[in-house]
Amino acid sequence: MAKRITIDPITRIEGHLRIDVEVDNNAVSNAWASCTMWRGIEKILRGRDPRDAWLFTQRFCGVCTTVHAMASVRSVEDALKLEIPLNAQYIRNLILIAHALHDHIVHFYQLSALDWVDVMQVPKADPAATSKLAESLSPWTRNSRNELKAAQDRVNAVAASGQLGIFANGYWGHPAMRLSPEVNLLAFSHYVQALEYQRKALQVVGILGSKTPHIQNLTVGGVANAIDLDSTSALGMDKLELIRTLLEQVVTFVQQVYFVDVCAVAAMYPEWFKIGSGVRNYLAVPDLPLDSRGSEYDLPGGYIRDGDLGGVKGFRTAADEVFRKSVSEDVVHAYYQGEKPLHPWKGETEPAFTGWDADKKYSWVKAPRFNGEPMQVGPLAQVLIGYAQGHPLTRKYADMAIEKVAAIGGVRATPAALHSTLGRHAARAIRACMLAELAQKHLQLLTDNIAKGDYTVRNVPVMPTHEVEGVGTHEAPRGTLSHWIVIEDQKIKNYQAVVPSTWNASPRDHAGAHGPYEASLLHTPLARPEEPLEVLRTVHSFDPCMACACHAFDPSGRKIGVAKIL
Amino acid sequence: MKRVLIGGVGNVLLGDDGVGPYVVRMLEALYSFGEAVSLADLGTPALDLTHQIVGLHALILVDSVASDDPPGTVVLYRKEDILRVMPAERLDPHSPALSECLMTADMLGASPEHVLLVGIVGSCYDPGQPLSKAVRQSVAKSIEAILTELERLGFGFEKKMLPNEPEIWWADRPVGEPVLA
Repeated sequence: MAKRITIDPITRIEGHLRIDVEVDNNAVSNAWASCTMWRGIEKILRGRDPRDAWLFTQRFCGVCTTVHAMASVRSVEDALKLEIPLNAQYIRNLILIAHALHDHIVHFYQLSALDWVDVMQVPKADPAATSKLAESLSPWTRNSRNELKAAQDRVNAVAASGQLGIFANGYWGHPAMRLSPEVNLLAFSHYVQALEYQRKALQVVGILGSKTPHIQNLTVGGVANAIDLDSTSALGMDKLELIRTLLEQVVTFVQQVYFVDVCAVAAMYPEWFKIGSGVRNYLAVPDLPLDSRGSEYDLPGGYIRDGDLGGVKGFRTAADEVFRKSVSEDVVHAYYQGEKPLHPWKGETEPAFTGWDADKKYSWVKAPRFNGEPMQVGPLAQVLIGYAQGHPLTRKYADMAIEKVAAIGGVRATPAALHSTLGRHAARAIRACMLAELAQKHLQLLTDNIAKGDYTVRNVPVMPTHEVEGVGTHEAPRGTLSHWIVIEDQKIKNYQAVVPSTWNASPRDHAGAHGPYEASLLHTPLARPEEPLEVLRTVHSFDPCMACACHAFDPSGRKIGVAKIL
Repeated sequence: MKRVLIGGVGNVLLGDDGVGPYVVRMLEALYSFGEAVSLADLGTPALDLTHQIVGLHALILVDSVASDDPPGTVVLYRKEDILRVMPAERLDPHSPALSECLMTADMLGASPEHVLLVGIVGSCYDPGQPLSKAVRQSVAKSIEAILTELERLGFGFEKKMLPNEPEIWWADRPVGEPVLA
């Protein structure tokens, strides 16, 4: 008989996510993804000045502040048909890239690596042998015996204290953990180093955005950065040079450490290329605009249905007509009033909490649909959509990943193997390498444009008095983000944010179709159902961030328990 | 130089949850501080809090907390109180992962020597609401707790003769006058 397991909340994610699975013969036979917090921040935007919206949306989530700020100004600019000066596009692009690099590094090392890496095996490793192994994998200069020994000592110190501290929640010694002590040490050493490089990426955001965690330099129509080549306080040669130095270090870490570690984990757990696929409809929007009108982009978008890469459809712009028309949100299984799916411009956010019920309503996340179908968003969607359209930069790093995995583990993955838990990790590493290369490109574009004598950073918006609608999108670290605004009489009449984790964590819709998290868990084998590490591996591969998917706090203030078997 | 950070934690869009940033912005408006003291509205930083705290001599955070005490009660916590909370559990409603970040800083050998969490028991966390009366009345007491800690640690501050207007930008304002024109 099927047994129900509740994992509430999923540890090592941002915010509150609950997963329920039914287990039959040690495999998942049914799944429910739900968010335990209320959503409703959008309502407070109504009646406010559209030029202020980004300040508020930046507070939707404390982790992805900049992405909501950016999507918001873009929504107003779309509604006003406003062009953005080149300098502003490049500065924004650099902020978005630096934020994404930070986010991807945090995700792999701090939020998901310990699903694959057994920290408690680290004390058994031989640092000299680990260093030798590392040399065979990467030219990274910080894999010396001394550096590895220092990392090992950190684990020894935590273990000796008798309290596992930050490692108290792992499934250490689980039969699904299979790396050698040396590989575990190498990965752990990079886990520690990753903290330094995340910080460097954040510094870039801070220099361009004036402050972190909440940037101050955005404005509808451009940016508020003063450009002056000779100044040390404005954006000038000094700051551009500092950004260049920081980016170089982050780029090297991404290409020589993060990318290699993901390939190594993939090579050592090849069965996970066959697990965790689920929804094979993919969606991504173009991003990193290269001109002031937003007609050319460095990153492609589009959609794929049912895993058919050959049938990929591209989007021409970040607010493509097809995208504008095709999005709706369904609340049949979410704690909101309403029956019919609504387009975001018509969207409502009226709560109707009924308590968790597997057959009825069970989540605070709405179910976004594209032409009525669930879509998977995130780096995997971004990479598959780029690859299918022959995008050279995507192909370059995707092919490199396939070669690297083959070289380490003798396993040759195909693009089709990317429809999987490991595929999501691999795609994120591929995307990070692409972004790393583009970071340097956009810094050069900005430097060259300023050198030409163009100091323009903003076109001043004029608010129309008649009603206008706009959509601002950003292909964020976790996938497609869209902010939908209706402006009337110079005020916000309606505002809806359809965020990446809403697409992926969506509950079932009126047709009963599972959301991507739910579908990806079906058929997952569990070695020990009472320690559902495998469920965590797949859920974490999406990089869940429920803070903006549901926006709020846990009203119950309940203590957290993990893996309760009913 | 031994540095101290006074950080306001919480979501300014969710009623009493915004009391941390509110207190920090009031402090900024009313007092001037030496260069070793920095103030920041941290929002809800989750794991990124680690980057804000490594290498500090002292950390003072202001945040709303869930507690059985009546709304507006100011509760002080020290590092050992916070570390007693295991990472997956949370001291407060919106998960800033405080204990996890302190443990990470400890592992790096760069954890602040002195930690004070000024917790304010909230009552209303509804979107778009101003601070509740009880919480508003606790702001002065929270400021006092912060200044006492600065004094204890030997950090200087001075009351401004002419205080600035506090930057509570999320409070209601007339349409047509955007915050940053």
